[in-house]
Amino acid sequence: MVAVLIDGLVLGLQFGMLGVGLTLVYGLGGVVNLAHGQMAVVAAMVAARLMDRGTATALAVAAGILSVVALGVVIDRTLMQPVYRERSEHRVLLGLLLMLGVGFIIDGVLEWRYPIEALSLRITGGPVEVFGVAIRRGSIVASAVIGVVGLALILFFRYTTFGRATRSVIEDEEGARLCGINPGAVRTVIFGLSGGLAGIVAMTQAMTSPVVSTAGVGLTIFALIVAVVGGLGSTSGAFLAGIILGLVNTLSAFYIGTFVSSIILLLAAASTILLRPEGLLRRA
Amino acid sequence: MPDRSHTRPPRAADLGAFAPIALAALVLALVPLWAGDSRSMMTVVTTGLTFASYAVAFNLIFGATGQLFLCVGALAGIGGFGSVIISDRLGLPFLVTMPMAALLSGLFGAALSWVAVRRSLDTIFTGIVTLAFALSFQSFVLGRPELTGGENGLQVAGGADTLLRQPVEPYYVFLGLLVVFLVVYRVIQRSHVGWAFRALRDDDAAASLAGIDVARYRILAGWIGSMMLGLTGALFAHYRGFVGDTTYAFGSVDVRVLVMLAFGGIGTLLGPVLGAAVFTVMDELLVDQAQVRELIYGVITVILFLSFRQGAVPALTNAVRRLVGADQPPPREASSADTGIG
Repeated sequence: MVAVLIDGLVLGLQFGMLGVGLTLVYGLGGVVNLAHGQMAVVAAMVAARLMDRGTATALAVAAGILSVVALGVVIDRTLMQPVYRERSEHRVLLGLLLMLGVGFIIDGVLEWRYPIEALSLRITGGPVEVFGVAIRRGSIVASAVIGVVGLALILFFRYTTFGRATRSVIEDEEGARLCGINPGAVRTVIFGLSGGLAGIVAMTQAMTSPVVSTAGVGLTIFALIVAVVGGLGSTSGAFLAGIILGLVNTLSAFYIGTFVSSIILLLAAASTILLRPEGLLRRA
Repeated sequence: MPDRSHTRPPRAADLGAFAPIALAALVLALVPLWAGDSRSMMTVVTTGLTFASYAVAFNLIFGATGQLFLCVGALAGIGGFGSVIISDRLGLPFLVTMPMAALLSGLFGAALSWVAVRRSLDTIFTGIVTLAFALSFQSFVLGRPELTGGENGLQVAGGADTLLRQPVEPYYVFLGLLVVFLVVYRVIQRSHVGWAFRALRDDDAAASLAGIDVARYRILAGWIGSMMLGLTGALFAHYRGFVGDTTYAFGSVDVRVLVMLAFGGIGTLLGPVLGAAVFTVMDELLVDQAQVRELIYGVITVILFLSFRQGAVPALTNAVRRLVGADQPPPREASSADTGIG
């Protein structure tokens, strides 16, 4: 029981981190990044290819994460520019469709070149006893990494000038511009950051189970659900939603069965949207 | 990216409003002349017509009233699985069970619409609630194999030994269905309901202040569109003789329908037909490059949407001319005439 709870918690933290990346990009530019999961997979594939060639694990992981940071920046500077010129619903729809296309492209390339590639990062050492329960060392490292990164993110948005600038653009783009903030630059940095977060999630997932090249769509859907349940644009909301949904998913999968569990997960998400459309933490 | 070209004054000749449909039907009716010899080719074009019908229904829901239903496949699947299960289990003729299943789809669609309207969900939230519904439906199909056949799918008895299993005849059945849908769409567009749709799509607050019952019209669109989806899905099931977990999956239906409609022109009469035609041709051209198909699909999607910058339909009409060139039959002329541009 405790082991299941902890599995759920680790999964939840990963969901949460995915949701945060999605939610930041949406909050800033109104772009629903439907290629978010695919970007995570790109990081995993870059790392896996490098490790196949004998690169040291740490280096390969860093290169994988940096490569999606770069991918995020490039997408923002090129494809997303026409999107940012649109307004309101048009912008949302155009951004969504373009990123859908990007998702196809990434999936298409992966399916074509690396259909059977997978990344696993083996964390050596046996299970660790926590509160009398044996827990895989990979799970512990994974949650530690996400915990640290998540904490850093929250501190970053609260206390640094750039973090505050980011939040001001989310609140009111025009107002931020009048205060001398360049929303375009903030969006570019955050798109890159979002890619990096996706990459980190992929790396932590690889610590407990292999990340395969076709995992992108599933990750995107989870990220989307988490971001919406947490309230689009809210970082801590996304984390909370991720943890709750991760627990719901793992517990119902363990006690009821996989298919029913995904229905329960989706129903939980749908009912949160219906009961609290502004997200878990946002005041109406 | 709704187009705003429907505010033109009503035409003097009522029949003229239906001319684009007649023209498109005529062109499509000629397709079996060159595809009729090959059974596999007929399957391709008949499936293309099925997608055109899905896209017309989706256009009524999304294009006309701005509700992003990402459960096109699920609603069609309720019709498809529903009709197959009722007809094969209870031994009812499929001509009876298809409308029953379509009503069931309509019920689900109206309920989703009702929820979205009651909670005043915007485009993205409607999209995500309906996406959750679509994925739940998929899990249900896989998780209840005693009903749906699960991963193995179901062989469909209803419709066997009828003209639906002939090589060429089903094409005309689907063409008839598509024409009926287009006429329904056009009739709605030209009625007071159509005026209400346009008003609430452009600005639902203003429409509501002008005395339009926004909730009622949105639900009406969701209901009619979903019945169309259910009926199409059911007919497709009886035509193919098999339904499986991928027949109505999000990835195989919704994504295609969305891209087809966005390509053809959201909120236009013949946009869905044009989009379905172009993507059917493209799929057929790429059939030997299965490995890179998704990649090419993605590249084309990105290029298409980038060229929409100045507003959908004008850029789109040009893009279509450039992309399709000479080997595409002329529904696009009808479509551009229909939207009052070009």
